Amino acid sequence: MPTLTYLEAIRQGIWEEMERDPAVFCIGEDIGIYGGAFKVTDGFIDRFGPERVIDTPIAESAIVGAAFGAALTGMRPIAEFQFMDFIGCAFNQITNMVAKAHYRWGAPAPLVVRGPSGGNVHGGPFHSQNPEMYFVHTPGLKVVCPATAYDAKGLIKASIRDNNPVIFFEHKYLYRRIKEDIPAEDYIVPLGKARIARQGRDLSVITYAAMVHVALETAEQLSKEGIELEVLDLRTLSPLDRQAIAETVRHTNKVLILHEDVRTGGIAGEISAIINEEAFDDLDGPIVRLTALDTPVPFSPPQEEFFLPKVTDVIREARKLRAY
Amino acid sequence: MAKKTKPKATRAQSSNHKRASSSAKRPASSQRTYTILDYRLEKPRFELRQVRDGDVVRYEVSGTLNAPVPPIRNSKYLSKPQCIEIYRWMLLNRKMEAALENLYKQGKVVGGVYFGLGQEGCSCASAYALKPDEWLGPMIRNQGSLLVRGFSPRDIMMQYMAKAGSPTQGRDASSHFGDIQERNVVAPISTLGDLIPVLAGVALGARMQGKNIAVMTYIGDGGQSTGVTYEGLNFAAVQDLGLVLFVENNLWGYSTPADMQFRVEDLAERAIAYGIPGVIVDGTDPCQVYDAAHEACERARRGEGPTLIEAKMMRMKGHAIHDAAEYVPKALFEYWKKRDPIARFENYLVNVKKWLTRAENDKLIAEVDAQLETDRDFAVSSPMPEPESAVGRPYCDPSCHQIKPRYATPKVKVGKVSTSRHTEAAVHLK
Repeated sequence: MPTLTYLEAIRQGIWEEMERDPAVFCIGEDIGIYGGAFKVTDGFIDRFGPERVIDTPIAESAIVGAAFGAALTGMRPIAEFQFMDFIGCAFNQITNMVAKAHYRWGAPAPLVVRGPSGGNVHGGPFHSQNPEMYFVHTPGLKVVCPATAYDAKGLIKASIRDNNPVIFFEHKYLYRRIKEDIPAEDYIVPLGKARIARQGRDLSVITYAAMVHVALETAEQLSKEGIELEVLDLRTLSPLDRQAIAETVRHTNKVLILHEDVRTGGIAGEISAIINEEAFDDLDGPIVRLTALDTPVPFSPPQEEFFLPKVTDVIREARKLRAY
Repeated sequence: MAKKTKPKATRAQSSNHKRASSSAKRPASSQRTYTILDYRLEKPRFELRQVRDGDVVRYEVSGTLNAPVPPIRNSKYLSKPQCIEIYRWMLLNRKMEAALENLYKQGKVVGGVYFGLGQEGCSCASAYALKPDEWLGPMIRNQGSLLVRGFSPRDIMMQYMAKAGSPTQGRDASSHFGDIQERNVVAPISTLGDLIPVLAGVALGARMQGKNIAVMTYIGDGGQSTGVTYEGLNFAAVQDLGLVLFVENNLWGYSTPADMQFRVEDLAERAIAYGIPGVIVDGTDPCQVYDAAHEACERARRGEGPTLIEAKMMRMKGHAIHDAAEYVPKALFEYWKKRDPIARFENYLVNVKKWLTRAENDKLIAEVDAQLETDRDFAVSSPMPEPESAVGRPYCDPSCHQIKPRYATPKVKVGKVSTSRHTEAAVHLK
């Protein structure tokens, strides 16, 4: 099995889908000869030609609008955002034009909007954000946030094959930092299914994207103290795997929700509500939220480190919750 | 059309699709000249200003408001039966809106009613230039375009009455509906300009499937102020996509006059800055509208790119039924009332060309009335949706739609797998 980074896994996933289905194409800024700001589409234009790897003006609404229009003719566009921070520029196209199309007038929108999100790379307020919740809040969209190279490949392939608009958040901190063995054969990871990243009996950490790795590192350390964390990697924020959330709560009875997004309006609040609805009687302690601060993402490394949840934070909160 | 010189430099052609090409060198800036094709037989000049009048501020119009009404321009392309067909669509458009106004007064319409009064010639004659397998994205006043594309008055009436049998099954209002199966209409959303990149994308999708098609959408003098208008049209221009953009300059964006939306004399001048042809037509003359639309569609089908057509006319009612448009100077209404597209086209067909006898015209009008009566009765008596149908289907699954290329499977041309072009040093924010 080849060993691929998270970025290479996404690249390979898109590549294989373009080889498999002539209706799949890429559209975005600097994705052609330059290969994309992060080089996800490196070499694509040579292989698939400028007809299927389309460099656009700096016009995010046009990118999403054109992707949607092409999708109406049965194409499967993949729109790259150079940074997901810039998705606000296309907010109306995504939330009003695209997301509502199937409900309003029965028009499927099989397109993927993908790009790098997340911090810890000192990108500052406009190159580090986690804007996923704007889209989780919008019916009609699917929102995907992979944490591993295996999932990144399987989820991008599933997203491309899905008949719905998928907002695919790649975590730029993970792009080149993690790698794993990936099966050579074709596979997908279904949307809407969480996974147990680590089994444990004492308390559950529900998380996604880069924070999965923070949770796993915490679990490793706490295991030495005899505290066994269960780590649930959501993989998809919309649709959310309510069943997996309820099951892990029933198993451990204590929950810590960890995310890199800001606290207010983050998915932790929604998950807390789901636990209330699905597994309230199974709780043996308060639901704990561990999130970034309610501020923009600060630029300077000491500030950003303070802003983001860290292993030491999770250890502290997990110990408290365990003792509750 | 807009330019005497083609400024686009020669570039490597992508062989899969036809793009405009020219080896003409861009001339020095001092030598560049631009022309805007203008089909009009009169060029109205007036200006609107906000003026203080005692204790109130109101709009005042100045200009040539006594000019004689121009004739209908003979079409270069339309035959006699085609002219009569367009006339029939225009009548249906106007009379359907009159029926909607009555339904509203009877309390049968949910929400408001939007009118295209005075703009029927533009809606109907523009949409008439498209072929069945081409696409249209209407704006709120283009109900005539929807009729031409094959929706019936009952569809539009049921939309306004929020009926279960409406094209959106009650889930959206007014002209907010479409059809990707047969009529090739993209449903608009309420925000303005957003259809422009979408229609460009439809042309892009078709081109990838080996077919250059014409796609048409509309924007108003108000809506063209939005950023997405620029983004969409510029993208279409850069990609040579077959977009026909009608800029319907009806002088009012809700209550704001065109003079407060832009500084240029003619919105068609904007075309120069996009590097595409710009055309001006009298939006109350269906022959001019059709001719400009037809030429733009033919250009689109040749793969030569988009065209901006400014249609000058006047919104003869308020923004919607709730708006009495009292802010509009009366003289302006009077000026444009004399230029009513239906009255003038009727006169052209009956008296000028003598293509319709009075008896034939009366018969045609009676048929339109009868169709509307049938459709109105059907729409009125059709049921409201079940409350639970609000759940609907926000997501599409394979049981509701099979996604497949509409025109043809795109032809795939693959190159060799190249080695990476970049070095790790080129990576941003590692």
